Amino acid sequence: MLTRDKRATARAAARPAGRPGGEAVLVPGDADLLKMLHSMKLTRALEYRIERKLYRQGKIVGGVYVGRGQEAISVGAAMHIRRGGGEDHDDIVSPSHRDMAVFLMQGMPPERILAQYMGRKTGPTRGRDGNMHMGDLRNRPIAFVSHLGDSIPVAAGCALTFRMRGTDQVSFCFFGEGATSRGDWHEGVNFAAVMKLPVVFICNNNQYAYSTHVSRQMRVERVSDRAGGYGIPGETADGNDALAVYDVVGRSTERARRGEGPALLEFVTFRMTGHSAHDDAGYVPKGLFEEWERKDPIRLLEEHLKRRGLVDVTALKEMETRIESELDDAVAWAEGQPYPDPEECLTGVYHE
Amino acid sequence: MSAVLKKNRKPSQSRSARPHRPPDVRQPPPEPMRNPGLSRKDLLEVHRLLRLNRMVEERLSALYRQGQIHGGLYSSLGQEGISVGTAYALASDDLLAPMIRNIGSLLVRGVSPRTLFLQFLARHDAPTGGKDGTLHFDDLEKSIIGPISVLGTLIPVMTGAALAARMRGESRVALTYIGDGGASTGDFHEGLNLAAVLGLPLILVVENNGYAYSTPTNRQFAVDSLAERGPAYGIAAESVDGTDVLAVYEATRRAAERGRRGEGPTLLECRAFRRRGHAEHDDMWYVPKDLVKVWETRDPLDRFESFLVDEGHATEKELRGVREAIGPDLDEAARAALDSPYPPPEETLRDVYFEAE
Repeated sequence: MLTRDKRATARAAARPAGRPGGEAVLVPGDADLLKMLHSMKLTRALEYRIERKLYRQGKIVGGVYVGRGQEAISVGAAMHIRRGGGEDHDDIVSPSHRDMAVFLMQGMPPERILAQYMGRKTGPTRGRDGNMHMGDLRNRPIAFVSHLGDSIPVAAGCALTFRMRGTDQVSFCFFGEGATSRGDWHEGVNFAAVMKLPVVFICNNNQYAYSTHVSRQMRVERVSDRAGGYGIPGETADGNDALAVYDVVGRSTERARRGEGPALLEFVTFRMTGHSAHDDAGYVPKGLFEEWERKDPIRLLEEHLKRRGLVDVTALKEMETRIESELDDAVAWAEGQPYPDPEECLTGVYHE
Repeated sequence: MSAVLKKNRKPSQSRSARPHRPPDVRQPPPEPMRNPGLSRKDLLEVHRLLRLNRMVEERLSALYRQGQIHGGLYSSLGQEGISVGTAYALASDDLLAPMIRNIGSLLVRGVSPRTLFLQFLARHDAPTGGKDGTLHFDDLEKSIIGPISVLGTLIPVMTGAALAARMRGESRVALTYIGDGGASTGDFHEGLNLAAVLGLPLILVVENNGYAYSTPTNRQFAVDSLAERGPAYGIAAESVDGTDVLAVYEATRRAAERGRRGEGPTLLECRAFRRRGHAEHDDMWYVPKDLVKVWETRDPLDRFESFLVDEGHATEKELRGVREAIGPDLDEAARAALDSPYPPPEETLRDVYFEAE
């Protein structure tokens, strides 16, 4: 067990910590690069408020699962989600619980997310849930299904709808490496493969499923090794390199849009937190956090943008200040929102 | 842009990209059979079991048509080599969990035709005491674990059985079967993945018989062979001709040896064809007739008999003798089963729920 753990770590360490602009086929333009950096910073800052401040102040009513250190995956992938064109144009996305960036990039304002976590009436679930289980069919993130793996058949079903309607929309589906051991995952991926559905399966392999190391999750080296069992392409890339994610997801999205079927993409990263805010991750060797801290995806992208002359220290500082000030307002707004009325308890819970 | 794309991507066109067509009738000719080192005695015993399997099912089919069978009847015609070849390759205490088309596996383990008739006729003396009319029974003394009707569910159970054997320090391997359809179930994935991660001695035999009820394999998976799933779990996988009982036997032996050496599970695909309907009530109108004809020329029993005669292990007369000897035995077993009583009504709930001592 320990040996396998070590082997996996060595493998991950051997990977280049980012190859900005390297052999990528799809490269984001300057405006997109700035948007990516902003989305990653906004995500991290918002999650910091939720996890490190509001949760500790007892203001969060549910659990808190953050994607710290994994922002490059959500952001790099979500850049390819087509939006703003209506029912027959917009893609659909099923985020995992560590993809806050997807909600933000799909147009859910931070204050509504904060209202959700604080159980307020103006959160997306109107105070019914105090966690990530929120969706917004207008902006098209499907509400996250708590049971890991369950969202895979749902995402495949959305893609089937696109196929039946004859559109070129794509269904994006996020999950962790732990979910790939679930039966629903197998059923959903196989169905999408057989029907050649336009789904992009995006795995954030953060090496721990709660306390289970990936070496106890599967006997294969990579999650993408599973793709061959379904007759679909699989690819593995550095999940801390937003440009690599952008490239790999972009190519699979184009493929799916052309009607060439799904792909299984694995992005290797590390969960820079416990499973949730209550978990001190005592089972994770401390050295791993230090090692992955050095590969922080936001810093990697910042450095790339600096090299390209898109930002300097002042601009970055400005961006951060703006984000913090926006979040101050968002928190203040959310805290001022009412809780749901007791008599509304059952409204929206069952179909009416 | 959207309008142009729409025009180019009519749903009907998308479907034609993967048309709903049945499995290919153009099968490559079978490889010649080869003796993996079995003695003449073993070869003749394998033949007797294949013939017995065939004749027991023929008798059950007749009883079904007479209205004597109370449950469903699922034929293994054309797949007998898989049941017999796999079960024959195991040690007698290896854990064996048959599915509904594996009467042959039970016969190898010594379950008598009389017991099978009693079970299908739902009589009081049957293993389930008349509570079930198909194969849903076990015999732990013979290391047989009973099938679970819900396809795929038996796989995690056998993973658990293999884990138990290892924890006890036994050298037993666990073998069970699944069809091409059951390979799409979540339980298949969870059970096989766990066996892979823990390196358990599980042999999962996939009987790829072309159809899951009415769903052809090209609507079931997008790979050419289910053995391609092996590398996806990081385990050994083989695909063999399921109409070649000796190839099935040899591959199972290899899998069992790997399991006993601690090298983990094996996914063994056996390719054959379901030459009858899903069950006796199904006329399989959805299966092209020429496809059945092709596979009739690859009958596992015919192929093995030709092999035995060609290689000088037996004469046609001797082989005929086997059939003639089994016939009267089955007459007697069926008669005894038909004459035995149904369970008394007051026993209806006995053994259905656990009863505390």
